[in-house]
Amino acid sequence: MDAVEKANAERQRRWVKDQKVGEGTYAVVYRGRELATGRKIAIKKIKVGQFKDGLDMSAVREVKYLRELQHPNIIELLDVFSSKTNLNLVLEFLDTDLEMIIKDRSLVFLPADIKSWMAMTFRGLEFCHRNFILHRDLKPNNLLIASDGQLKIADFGLARDAADPGYKMTCQVITRWYRPPELLFGCRYYSTAVDIWSVGCIFAELMLRIPYLPGESDMDQLKTIFRALGTPTDEEWPGHTKLPDYVSVGQFPRTPLRDLFTAASGDTLNLLSKCIIFEPRKRISARDALYHPYFFALPYPTHPSKLPKTAAQTAAASRPPDEVDGNVDPGGGAPAGVGKAAPPKKLKRKLSGHDLSRNIARKLDFTAS
Amino acid sequence: MQQQPPTSPDVSSAAKSPLFQSSTQYRNWRFSVEQLKATRAALNQASVAAIRNTFESDSPGSSSDVHFLDANEEHLLVKLYIIKISQLCGHFRFPEEVEATGITYLKRFYLKNTVMDWHPKNVMLTALYLATKTTNHPISLESYTANIPRTNASDVLDLEFLVAQSLAFEFAVWHAHRALWGIWLDIQDLPQAPPHEELQRIHDTAMQHIRTSRLTDVELIYPPSQIALACLSLAHPEIAAFWARSKNADTALEAIESIKRTITRDGDTPSVDVVREIDRHLKICKNPEKVVGSKAYLAKRAREEKEAELKRKKKAENVRKATEQGNPFGEVLVGQANLDDDD
Ligand SMILES: Nc1ncnc2c1ncn2[C@@H]1O[C@H](COP(=O)(O)OP(=O)(O)O)[C@@H](O)[C@H]1O
Ligand SMILES: [Mg+2]
Repeated sequence: MDAVEKANAERQRRWVKDQKVGEGTYAVVYRGRELATGRKIAIKKIKVGQFKDGLDMSAVREVKYLRELQHPNIIELLDVFSSKTNLNLVLEFLDTDLEMIIKDRSLVFLPADIKSWMAMTFRGLEFCHRNFILHRDLKPNNLLIASDGQLKIADFGLARDAADPGYKMTCQVITRWYRPPELLFGCRYYSTAVDIWSVGCIFAELMLRIPYLPGESDMDQLKTIFRALGTPTDEEWPGHTKLPDYVSVGQFPRTPLRDLFTAASGDTLNLLSKCIIFEPRKRISARDALYHPYFFALPYPTHPSKLPKTAAQTAAASRPPDEVDGNVDPGGGAPAGVGKAAPPKKLKRKLSGHDLSRNIARKLDFTAS
Repeated sequence: MQQQPPTSPDVSSAAKSPLFQSSTQYRNWRFSVEQLKATRAALNQASVAAIRNTFESDSPGSSSDVHFLDANEEHLLVKLYIIKISQLCGHFRFPEEVEATGITYLKRFYLKNTVMDWHPKNVMLTALYLATKTTNHPISLESYTANIPRTNASDVLDLEFLVAQSLAFEFAVWHAHRALWGIWLDIQDLPQAPPHEELQRIHDTAMQHIRTSRLTDVELIYPPSQIALACLSLAHPEIAAFWARSKNADTALEAIESIKRTITRDGDTPSVDVVREIDRHLKICKNPEKVVGSKAYLAKRAREEKEAELKRKKKAENVRKATEQGNPFGEVLVGQANLDDDD
């Protein structure tokens, strides 16, 4: 075998694939572990054969950026290997995402909790922007949460380098509810400010516990935004009526944020309003946001380990690490002949990742002990 | 505290900042001159030994008359294909970024592979196509191959995984031409700055030197900011010195002297006759295991197929055992095994 193929095979052997845990648009995600340490990991398997242009752009982007970015608030790419026609990204395993936490009605968010999530989001984003990288798909579902409560920006499938001034980019990015008005108007020269708008929407969603600007179509998205924030004037946002896809969707009056966010502090609303300024050049930068008085005022941000957790997270944390990560047979997804274990143990592992089966597996655990 | 907003990047200082120092390029793709030489020599020796072995096991004594390429000859051949990448990019009107990245990929590939296994005329096509994607200038494979004579889709795609693997999936590259752009922006603000037209001329000349530098090893040895400064210095030494002093980087001026020497020494186009001779040898000494349809190729495929078959059997056996032992969740296990079957 060639040295390069051999190195790939060696890398592949370090990781064991266990249970399917999620499905993205172009990939299947498995829970797995590092063979030597039992450390929990995720394997994002991207099918390559199905694309007529070879390696798919989302995969290329994700690998390119995650290979370079190392930061506590950005998901860690531990390894990459290929197997036949698949590309496999080995990622740190993350228990849940911000969307699930927001939707979990049993959880109560304190202002300090929201401040903590916002600080972690801005820290990760500031690092991206400092590296001239635009994420272009920020939303609660792509902010994953580690078992220690750390928030990690994930899913770099739409990311790109911040372009040189005057270089055209596609405006078909960012999930609609989090998409800024300049993109909805077809602006092809944009900046890091597009991500800031998305963060503003997430900030509002954390307070409201429902999406802040849920438009039903691209046109309705503009209406939804202007209904909430007022239709921009040419003074507020010079030149916006000249943008390629500009349409007038009606005149809506500006209502103070205070009317909707009744319990929020002045600092909170000040930072929120700076994230969702119409004129992109006036929107706050991630760097400046981190120095905003909001983050220095009381209450201080909750320590990540003390943040609200979903039931699934608590369950995962309360199980002894041995049962979750223990020395069990790699089974189906692993290279043949890497150790053997009795079937009951194997069964337990196979089931523990399935939400449905989790209770059964837990019961079996008790009878076994 | 007021700091440089991330929307207006200061490219020149970025090239020396910790950002570059945490990049995969800084960590994994920088070598000393000696390291490069040793790496290539070792790779060449190991490759020759392996190919000789294949020849001999096919028919003993058959390798004795073969002229295998040495590391130098390999390097010259790759250099020729760097030039071909540039020609191709001119034809496609690809941006500078694509061209520079494709060339970097080709160079890095041959730090892990030998031309006797994979001919650069094929690898070049894949490296460049991959570069269009990693620099976010994708074009369809169809229009790519339609514009290159005697090339079909599989010529490009068959090697894509191999190239990506050889690059260790490290796709991001920091280029000297970007660093030059940053320096050039700085220079315009210097009190000593010459009039605009002259500045433009200096930039264009420096850019020519940067293109020449791509034929050499400097990007595998020095950071892009130093290469850019060296090229500026080749174009206009005084301006380069002004800039360095304005940045309190006088020591950089000494460091770039060896870059300038290397570019001047190694930036020439290899002689066609010499490369033709190398290619003639290569026809005979190339690895028969990589020649589709050859005896050695088929033997290797049969070996691999046998191993895969063994693996599949073992897997099926494991599943059968688990089911037989009355495991109530046998179904789940079987389903699971099927799910992973394509690995
Ligand atoms: N590191 C991870 N740890 C645990 N689950 C993950 C991880 N990465 C992804 N997932 C799961 O897989 C799903 C799809 O992953 P994602 O990266 O968002 O793919 P896509 O780019 O296709 O949206 C996620 O919503 C999540 O449920
Ligand atoms: Mg996603």
